[in-house]
Amino acid sequence: MAAFNPLEFRQHFPFFQSQPDWIYLDNAATTHKPQQVIAAELAFYQQANSNVHRGAHQLSQQATALYEDARETVKSFLNARYREEIIFTSGTTAAFNQLAFGLMHSLLKPGDRILISTLEHHANIVPWQLHCLTQGVILDVVPLDSQLMPDLEAYQALLTLKPKVVSLTQVSNALGHVLPLQKMLSAAKAAGAITIVDGAQGIAWQVPDLQQYPADFYCFSGHKLYGPTGIGVLYGKTALLEQLKPLLGGGEMISEVSFQQSSFAALPARLEAGTPNIAGAIGLATAIRFLRQFDAKLINQYKGKLLQQFADGLAAIPGLRSLTQVTQSAGILSLQLLNEHPNDLAVLLNEQKIAVRAGSHCAMPLFASLQLPGAVRFAFAPYNLPTEVEKTLEALQAATDILR
Amino acid sequence: MLQQLIADTANGLQQISQHELPLLQQPADWQTKYRLLMQLGKKLPALPEKMRQPEYLVRGCESRAWLLHYQDPVTGKHFFVLDSEARIVKGLLAIMLCFVNGKTSAELTDVELSRHFDALNLRPYLSQSRGNGLNLMLQRIQTVTSA
Repeated sequence: MAAFNPLEFRQHFPFFQSQPDWIYLDNAATTHKPQQVIAAELAFYQQANSNVHRGAHQLSQQATALYEDARETVKSFLNARYREEIIFTSGTTAAFNQLAFGLMHSLLKPGDRILISTLEHHANIVPWQLHCLTQGVILDVVPLDSQLMPDLEAYQALLTLKPKVVSLTQVSNALGHVLPLQKMLSAAKAAGAITIVDGAQGIAWQVPDLQQYPADFYCFSGHKLYGPTGIGVLYGKTALLEQLKPLLGGGEMISEVSFQQSSFAALPARLEAGTPNIAGAIGLATAIRFLRQFDAKLINQYKGKLLQQFADGLAAIPGLRSLTQVTQSAGILSLQLLNEHPNDLAVLLNEQKIAVRAGSHCAMPLFASLQLPGAVRFAFAPYNLPTEVEKTLEALQAATDILR
Repeated sequence: MLQQLIADTANGLQQISQHELPLLQQPADWQTKYRLLMQLGKKLPALPEKMRQPEYLVRGCESRAWLLHYQDPVTGKHFFVLDSEARIVKGLLAIMLCFVNGKTSAELTDVELSRHFDALNLRPYLSQSRGNGLNLMLQRIQTVTSA
């Protein structure tokens, strides 16, 4: 593969032609979509639209083939062992809600413990909390160390409490820090826990090889990986997925229904109630095929370069403090302007057409532990350019001039 | 304490109406506009930490604000005290208060905030409701004054 060319990569994204004035650095919230993905969704509706798995007609069989091809693409992308291990969901949040409901009503018993970290997104906190009280399950949290990474000593100590589930994010959505999951998950497995990874931010940084990865479950969203919104994946080891109680009932997920009881279909249908997001799955598969044309290592190197350029430039602007350790980051930098609320900085950046996110980034417990009202987050993608980093630094200088 | 805050707020709002609002109507670059917004926010007293109670909290998507309300039992006029964590939001909220503070319930029903914000070239900020919580504050004002 040739060297990574950001300008060529950028040309695949029509958004930038439509909005040439904006600098888009909110890629941790959602990424833009390449033309191929947009065309694939459109083509499905224009040429192949039918419901899957049930029609007696050939059109439905063709739609089913496209949908199942998409599953196959995801399976090979993650190097999962079986296609049944790939469950399509509406996104990471839906995957976590299924996981929390399913585990709480099958494998977990009162008094069992679940271990998460301080860096988790609300989607890896709230679904557990919804059931903890009624099921008598205890949620433990790994604190942070001084580098704003999970405190590994405390983690080891919490593992001695024998949590049944250890659920961790691959990359902190608020700070960008990449967690040492290989080490953490192996320790969790050694302690006998079921391991879950929130890959919402991590999937665009490092795609796991799931046959080598010590995770029993892995979740991600398509829209943070250049795919459409409303489609995501819950990967799980077959034996565990089979024990999950379905959160949603109806549609394709049953094999037999009477008014007394129902029996469920085999995986993956068992956990895909109702008509799935067929076009979304096809769009996600297209995004994956698009991405596989590029060398992931070169893309990460390039993102690292942008981030370093940004961090170097920040040092020249007084009052700004990065919460992110750049060398530990997956292309995200969160910062604070001394004594100022992040919202003020974000408003002044918005005025200069720089799209960033301000606030607590759906990680309120993290910012409560840091005793900060939030931060302003800059999340880079491979279609961002060094000239955009320069302009962003100029905009930050102008904004801080106004606030001082 | 509350009486002092109410008096200081009313005083600050009067200054804003006289000095800053006419300035905002004049054409200016965006930097000047924001400097002005932050300056006028400073004319309202800060709410002491102990008064930032949950019942006064108005939670925007990105920042928190607080609204205290008092109705004079004799004149029926409504008075407010507000504060926000974010300076630009506080400036915008202060402008909002200029048009509602010291008014009776009957007078409040006639206030067309969007018209005032149009005149000040600030209309876009009213629609960015989720981000800055302006519309939430407006709803809170309507709730407390119609109670």
